[in-house]
Amino acid sequence: MRILVLAALGVLAACSPDRGPKWRPAGNVAPRDGGTLRFATKDQVRTLDPSIEYTEISSYVLHPLFDTLVDYSPAVRGDDHSGLEIVPHLAATWTVAPGGLEYRFTLRDGLVYSDGTPIVAADFVYSLERALTKADSPFGAFLVDVDGAQDVLDKKAEHCRGLQAPNDHELVIALTKPNGAFIDILTMSFATPQRADHVAKAGDQLRREPLGEGPFVLDQWDEGRRIVMRRNPRYWDAARVHLDALELYENIPRDTQFLMFERGELDSAERLSAPDYLWVMQQQAWAPYVQHRAVMNAYGSRMNVRKKPFDDRRVRQALNYAVNKDHSLKLLNGAAVASHGILPPGLFGRDDSIAPYPHDPAKARALLAEAGYPDGFDTEYVVMNDDEAERLASSLQGDLAEVGVRVHIQLMSFSAYVTAVGSVDGPPFSKGTWIGDYPDPTNFLDARFHSRMIANENSNNDSFYANPELDALLDAARGEPDAAKRAAMYHRAERILYDDAPWIWEYHQLVTEVVQPYVQNYSLHPIWLRDYTYAWLDVGPDGHPVPASGGGRALPDPRGK
Amino acid sequence: MIGLALRRTAWSVLVVWFVVTTTFLMTAAIPADPIKALLGPHATPETIIRVRAHYCLDRGIAGQYGCYVKHVLDGDLGESYRSKRPVTAIIRDRVWPTVQLALAAILLQLLVGVPLGVIAAVRRNRWPDHAANVFGLIGQSAPTFFVGTLFLYLFAYRFGWFPIGGYGDGFFGRLHHLVLPAATLATVGVAYYSRVVRSEMVEVLTEDYVRTARAKGLSERDVVVRHGLRNALGPLVTLVGLDLGMLLGGAVVTEYIFAWPGIGREVLQAILEVDIPVILGVVLVAGIAIAVANLLVDLVYLWLDPRLRG
Repeated sequence: MRILVLAALGVLAACSPDRGPKWRPAGNVAPRDGGTLRFATKDQVRTLDPSIEYTEISSYVLHPLFDTLVDYSPAVRGDDHSGLEIVPHLAATWTVAPGGLEYRFTLRDGLVYSDGTPIVAADFVYSLERALTKADSPFGAFLVDVDGAQDVLDKKAEHCRGLQAPNDHELVIALTKPNGAFIDILTMSFATPQRADHVAKAGDQLRREPLGEGPFVLDQWDEGRRIVMRRNPRYWDAARVHLDALELYENIPRDTQFLMFERGELDSAERLSAPDYLWVMQQQAWAPYVQHRAVMNAYGSRMNVRKKPFDDRRVRQALNYAVNKDHSLKLLNGAAVASHGILPPGLFGRDDSIAPYPHDPAKARALLAEAGYPDGFDTEYVVMNDDEAERLASSLQGDLAEVGVRVHIQLMSFSAYVTAVGSVDGPPFSKGTWIGDYPDPTNFLDARFHSRMIANENSNNDSFYANPELDALLDAARGEPDAAKRAAMYHRAERILYDDAPWIWEYHQLVTEVVQPYVQNYSLHPIWLRDYTYAWLDVGPDGHPVPASGGGRALPDPRGK
Repeated sequence: MIGLALRRTAWSVLVVWFVVTTTFLMTAAIPADPIKALLGPHATPETIIRVRAHYCLDRGIAGQYGCYVKHVLDGDLGESYRSKRPVTAIIRDRVWPTVQLALAAILLQLLVGVPLGVIAAVRRNRWPDHAANVFGLIGQSAPTFFVGTLFLYLFAYRFGWFPIGGYGDGFFGRLHHLVLPAATLATVGVAYYSRVVRSEMVEVLTEDYVRTARAKGLSERDVVVRHGLRNALGPLVTLVGLDLGMLLGGAVVTEYIFAWPGIGREVLQAILEVDIPVILGVVLVAGIAIAVANLLVDLVYLWLDPRLRG
């Protein structure tokens, strides 16, 4: 159905004679306070409980509502390495003890929740313990390196001895082993402070009655329709927030979003459907307002290396040589870069000197013959029931057919796909996808390829790849305090995985967003994606956007609605 | 008549039970674990086990069914895997938008379809009849996704008369947002209703009592409306009843195109994410809506035609 709607809209929209920007920046030099920024998502926020919510779009709401001890620096337009530096937020300072086993945070003075009550260090202890004890919190595993966390997870202890608040201003976290990514974990929304009495009082309603301390506060949530967040005047850095409100519309199909954007009913449109994307990319008038950003993802085809014929490294390498990555990039309208491994561009530890496998069908055929498959083989390929994934699977099917590998595509719903590929007896060959939680190699390499992540069911390491050399390297790198040495270890790990090829390394997808010309000081963030908390609207003194002179049709003033 | 009505009600309950049970068995057969998808890749095996037990998913199909039936009989339709909200609360939120859309569509179908059918019948084989025929053919042939997209493009995007999507606030805001989705849904109905009314009217207008009415000197308007239309509307009662039941189950395509927050959108999302409690809850509500609509149609027939009571 989505394809039909999209195609019909694409054809109709293409008939439109003039679709340039309808407004232009008003020319304010200093950031202007006020206004509402409206954006949309095709999905729906499930809950505002930070100890539970864990979907891709959750950060659009949780990040403005909740602040953490530390956060990533704001993204800067045009700088692909920006947005990844850890900066203090609720913590004024922090120290890491030699050996990396103790983190000591000192909170800023005068921190309060949006209701004016003070934030104390014990609130952090409570929220981190809540992630360990709440039955349906998916975040407990992030804290296993904290001393005593495993005992809490195993229900052997009620409190985690590694989490201590010696006074209202100090938080001390003790680890059992060093973890270079621990500070990144504390940027996640589940690590926001929570007040025990509020959680108890709200009960089941906590999912829609959050008590936050972020730059915005929840004003209204008409579930499945719209979330309105108002500026939090009690935010510790209130001066940097310029917008009065953020409005997120839920459940708006991507193609409808773009029409709304063009009509001025939205201030930004992201993840454009193919016809809209191609059209926007060809328009000079829109070029200054289109942003691309490599984010924390990796896509490819994962193979179960314990199953024939994928247990032979030569077969896996052959498939890597057989796939023409240009096809995938074209199908993604160029909004992707070819990959040589799982670490995305810009991430610490990635070895940029490794080139992606070249498209070399002759070499692929030779490797297959050497492995005992001169006539290729038949295999099933499992892919999620999604039009983009289906197109890419068909392309892969064509590429592999060239070297004699006959692929039979099997479509599954997301839930069925996750269940199937995580099982040791599941399909041996499938689409491989990974979206990182924080920008550290552990969240990619350890999570997907360390042997300790193998389980018979729900296996995170769904290639079932076990290599003692890689395990030792990842374990050493995880606790290595010297950044240069740590990076070198990850370079070596990348090389091992490149050669062993448990995946067909295909691409890292870029996120694309187009914003109205009057949206200023905004850049797609590599972690939070749509972080509008620094943005402002360059509109006229009356609060309305200034029509673009000479360009675009006259339309009703959207901000008057 | 009361005995007959009770028998029909009992049959309706049986039909709803059958539909829900069949849906339950179908969802149980899906080889997917929604809990793994729900908790994400970092969930520990212990967490997955705990949450599966919480939702009775650690039991066999009979155990799961028993768990479900017990809760339903207690008025508890369960909790959405995705949002953790009670399914009753989700349905309560989504029913009203769907009811508004369904009623608006039916109203439009009646307001446009019936006069169109009457005009076509009265002006039989003349240009109004041919025009109504062509409209009926197009209306019935055009798929909803096309009509909806066309309306969206023309009346919302191109001319800007209506909003592109959403639900709207306040009475007039809501009405403004309702026009295009209701018109989209009504397009097929208008075409169908006009054809049914035309064919009934053509037959009725040749009846003896109509000739008698004309002979008595009644105005043509009275003949058509009081004697013709009243007697031609019988089949329309069935159509309206069935349409209402179907539309209350959610107009998936229309709600998707116009981002209308009704039951159709909700169930589409639930199906994609294997949110079984929501799927079952919506099936139950839609089943009840269709059964009640059918029951009402039957009762109205019984009331209208005493011959059926025997």
